[in-house]
Amino acid sequence: MLKDNYFNRLKELPETIKQFGGLVIITVIIISTFGILNTFWGGGDELIKKMKLEEERIANEKKLNALISQLPSGILVTFDGTDNYKLTDELYEAVCNATKLIPQRAIMAAHFLNYEAYDLYTINGNKIDDTYVKWNVDKKKCFAGYTVSGENVGVNRTAKVVGEVLSFLSTGIDTRVYFIKNF
Amino acid sequence: MEFLKKYPKLFQWLFLLIVFFALCFAIDVPETYKFIRGQAEFVKDPNQSSYIFLGKEVRYYAFDVFWRLPPLLGWLPIWINDSLFFLMNEWMPMEFWNEDTQEFKTRPLLLQISRNLTAFMTFLIELIREVLLGGLETIVAFTSWDWIDKNPWAELPGLPWTIVAAGAAILSYKLSGKGLALFAGLTMIYISIFGQWKPSMQTLSFILVAAPLSFIFGLGLGIAAFKSKRVEKALYPILLVMQTMPQYAVLVPALVLFGVGDHAAVIITMVVAVPPMILLTILGLRAIPPEVIEAGRMSGCNNWQLMFKVLIPTARRDILIGVNQVIMVCFSMAVISAFIGAKGLGFNLLLALNQLNIGLALEAGLCISLIAILLDKMSLAWANKQTDYFGNLSFLQRNKNILFFGSTVIIGIILAYFGTFIFKDSFNYLFEVPHNKGISTADFWNKGVDWIFDTFFVYIKAFNTWLIQDVLQPMRALYLRMPAVATIVLVVGAGYLIGGIRSALVVCALTLFIAFSPWWDRALVTTYMATFGVIVSCIIGFSVGTLCFQNKHAASFMLGVCDIFQTFPSFVYLIPVMMLFGITDTSVLIAVIVYATIPATRYTIEGLRSVPIGLHDAATMSGVNKFQRLTKIEFPLAFPHMMLGLNQTIVFALFMVIIGAFIGTEDLGQYILKALSDKNGAGIGLTLGICVAFIGLIFDNLIRTWVDKRKKHLGIN
Repeated sequence: MLKDNYFNRLKELPETIKQFGGLVIITVIIISTFGILNTFWGGGDELIKKMKLEEERIANEKKLNALISQLPSGILVTFDGTDNYKLTDELYEAVCNATKLIPQRAIMAAHFLNYEAYDLYTINGNKIDDTYVKWNVDKKKCFAGYTVSGENVGVNRTAKVVGEVLSFLSTGIDTRVYFIKNF
Repeated sequence: MEFLKKYPKLFQWLFLLIVFFALCFAIDVPETYKFIRGQAEFVKDPNQSSYIFLGKEVRYYAFDVFWRLPPLLGWLPIWINDSLFFLMNEWMPMEFWNEDTQEFKTRPLLLQISRNLTAFMTFLIELIREVLLGGLETIVAFTSWDWIDKNPWAELPGLPWTIVAAGAAILSYKLSGKGLALFAGLTMIYISIFGQWKPSMQTLSFILVAAPLSFIFGLGLGIAAFKSKRVEKALYPILLVMQTMPQYAVLVPALVLFGVGDHAAVIITMVVAVPPMILLTILGLRAIPPEVIEAGRMSGCNNWQLMFKVLIPTARRDILIGVNQVIMVCFSMAVISAFIGAKGLGFNLLLALNQLNIGLALEAGLCISLIAILLDKMSLAWANKQTDYFGNLSFLQRNKNILFFGSTVIIGIILAYFGTFIFKDSFNYLFEVPHNKGISTADFWNKGVDWIFDTFFVYIKAFNTWLIQDVLQPMRALYLRMPAVATIVLVVGAGYLIGGIRSALVVCALTLFIAFSPWWDRALVTTYMATFGVIVSCIIGFSVGTLCFQNKHAASFMLGVCDIFQTFPSFVYLIPVMMLFGITDTSVLIAVIVYATIPATRYTIEGLRSVPIGLHDAATMSGVNKFQRLTKIEFPLAFPHMMLGLNQTIVFALFMVIIGAFIGTEDLGQYILKALSDKNGAGIGLTLGICVAFIGLIFDNLIRTWVDKRKKHLGIN
C-alpha cells in the first residue's frame, strides 16, 4: 500500500521534474560506477611512485652519461702505475654505476683462473647467462660478475665468476668493464 | 524560479554543464600523465600495470579511473589478430589440388577460399585491363604460354584511346545529350594527351569490376532485407557502422585476408560500396505504393515476377541512385586502396604526394576528379532517364547509337593503323599516349608552389604559427584535459536529455567502447580536430547557404558546385592545401573545412528551400521583412534539415581527419596508417576504425534523435 502510494506520487510528478530526476540519477550512477571501478583498476598513487622512481633513474642516468661523455676515450684505471687515465674515487663510483656492459675480452680474461667457467663457456658456444656491474658500498669498490651454465660431459653445471673491476674502457659513448680481477 | 519553470530544458542543460565543469575542475591531471604515455603502445615498460584476459596480456598505465578508464578492451585487437591468424593458417586444413605443381597440397580452408577469390578477382581485373590496354595473360589463362608463343596474333591488342573517347561521348549523348557528350569527349582527350591514359584505364578497370559486383551484392542483400525483417535486423548494425567507418580502417584486415594488390582493393571496395547500395535498394522498394504491389499480384505475378517485373522497375530510380553512390565510393576507394597496392591514378597520386611533387599530384588528381564527375553525371542521367515503352521506332532509330559506336570503332582502328605509319619511329599516339610522353604541366604547378612559398612564406608561416599556437594547441589541451568521467557524464546526459533513456544507453555503450579501448586520448584528439573543422565548416556553410538561398540562380549554382566538389575523391583535397600550407596540421584542418563545408552548405540551401512557399506568402502578408522571415520562419522550419547537414558535416570531417594522417597528425588516423604497415595491424586497424565509426555514431544518434523530435514537434514529415 505504502509502495503503491509512493509510486503514484512519483507518477503524478510533472514530466520536467521526472526528467531532471532521471538526469540526476544517471549522473550519480555514472560517478559511483567510476568510484567502484577505481577500487579495482585505479592505480594512481602506485603509478606516481613508480613513475617518480623511473624519472629519478632517468635523470641519474642522464647525469652519468653527461659525466661519461667528458671522460677521455681509452682505458680508465683505478690504480697507479700505468699510463692510462686514473679515475678519482668519485669518478670510480660514478663510472661503476653507469657501466652495464661486460665485453667478451673481460670475460675471457676473468676465466683465466676459473677453469670450470672457461670450459662451460667454450663448450656451450660462448654463451653467458647473467651479467652485473655493482658498486659495493661497504668495500667502496666496483664488482662485476656473470654466470655461465650448460652441459659439461653430460652434466648440467653452473659457474659463477665475480671479481673487482680494476679498469674500464671508455668508448666516448659508453663505458665497459675492461678487466675483472677474480683472484 | 518562474524562469526555470518556463525553460525546464535549459535548466537541465545548465545542470549537466555545471556537473561536467565541476568534474573537470575537481579531478586533477595525474602527476604522471603525459599525452604520449596516455595510451598502451604495446611496448613493455616496468611502470605499466597488466592484466590477462582470454589468455592475452594487456599492458597499460594505471591512472586514476576518474581520469582515464583502464583499457579493458585492450585484448580485442590482439584477439582479432590471433583469430585471423588461426583462421588463415590453422583452421580446417584440407587437401587441395594444385594445378602448378600437379599434386595435392594441405591448406586451411579460409586461406584456400581467400586465394581462390583473389585469383578470380585478379582474372576479372586483368580481363578488363587487357581489353582496354592490351595484354596476353587472359588468353594464357585459357591456353598456355607455349600456345601464345606460337600464336602471337591472339594477344589482346587493347582499344585505341580514340575509340574509348568516342564510346564515352556516344554513351553520354544517349544518356543526357550534347552537353555531357562534349564533356565526356573533352575529358577523355584531356586524359589521353596528358599521358594519363594507362593509369586511368587501370583505375577504370578496377571500377568496372568493383562497381558491378557491389551492385549485384547490394541489390541482392537489399532485396533480402526488404523481404525479411530478420535479415534487415542483422544487416542494420553493420550498415550503421559502415556508414561512419573510415575507409582507411577497412584496408588493414583486407591486407591480412587477401594480401596486397588490385584484387584485395576490389574486394575491400565492395565491402565499402555495398552498404549504400543496400540502403538505397531498401529505400526504393519501401517507397513503392502498395497499389503497385497489389496490381502486380492481381495480374497473377508470382514472387519472382513481382520482384523483377514490378518492384525493381518501379524502384528503378532509387536503385540507379544507388549505382551512382557505388561508383562514387569505388572512385574514392580507388585512391585510398593505392595504399594496399592498387594500380592506377590513385597509386600515381599517392606516389606524387609522397615525393611532394604537387604538380604531378595535381595532374593525377584532376584526372580522377574529371572521370569521377563524368561517371557521376552519366549514372545520374541514367537514373533520371525515362524508358520509352510506347515509342514506335524503327530499327535504325532504336540502334543509332550502337551503329554510331560501331562506325567509330572502325574509324578508330583505321586511325590507329595509320598511326603506325605516321609515328613510325616513335610511339603510336593515335593508339595510346604513353604515360611519360604526354603534355605535362607538373613543372608549371611546382614552380607555382615554389612561387607561393617564396612570396607568401612569411604570411603563411605567421598564419600557421597563430593557428597552431593560439587556437589548435589550447583547444587540444582542453580536450585532453577532460577527465573520462566528465566526458561520459556529458555525453550520456546529452543523450538522455535529447532522446531519453534509450538514447542515453546507446551513446553510453558507444562512448564506453572508445573509453575502454587503449586509444581514448587519440580519440579525443580526433574529436578535437573534427570539432574544429565542423565549427568552421558550419559557420561558412550556413552563411554561404543562407546568402545563396536569397537568389534562385545563386542557390542553383552553389548546389552545382557542391555536387562537383562532392564527387572529388577525398584524397584529392589534400593536394591544394599541401600546395599552400605544406605539411602541417593547418593543411589537414583546411582540407577538413573545405570538405566538410559541402554538406553544411548543401543542406542549408535544401533546408531553406523545403520551407513551404505558402508560409512565405503568409509571412509577407503579415508584414514581416526579409530578415524577420528568415529568422522567425525559415530558420526554425529549416533547422531540422540543417541539423542533418551538421550530421553529414561531422561524418565528412571525421573522414578527412583520418585521411589527414597521411600528412602527419597524431590522432586515431595516424595509428590506422601505422597499422597498415604492421603485420599484426589487422586487429588494431579494425578496432581503431570502429572507434572512429562510434565517434560518428554518437553524434549521429544525438542529432538524428533531436531532428526526429523537432520534426514531430513542427509537424514536418
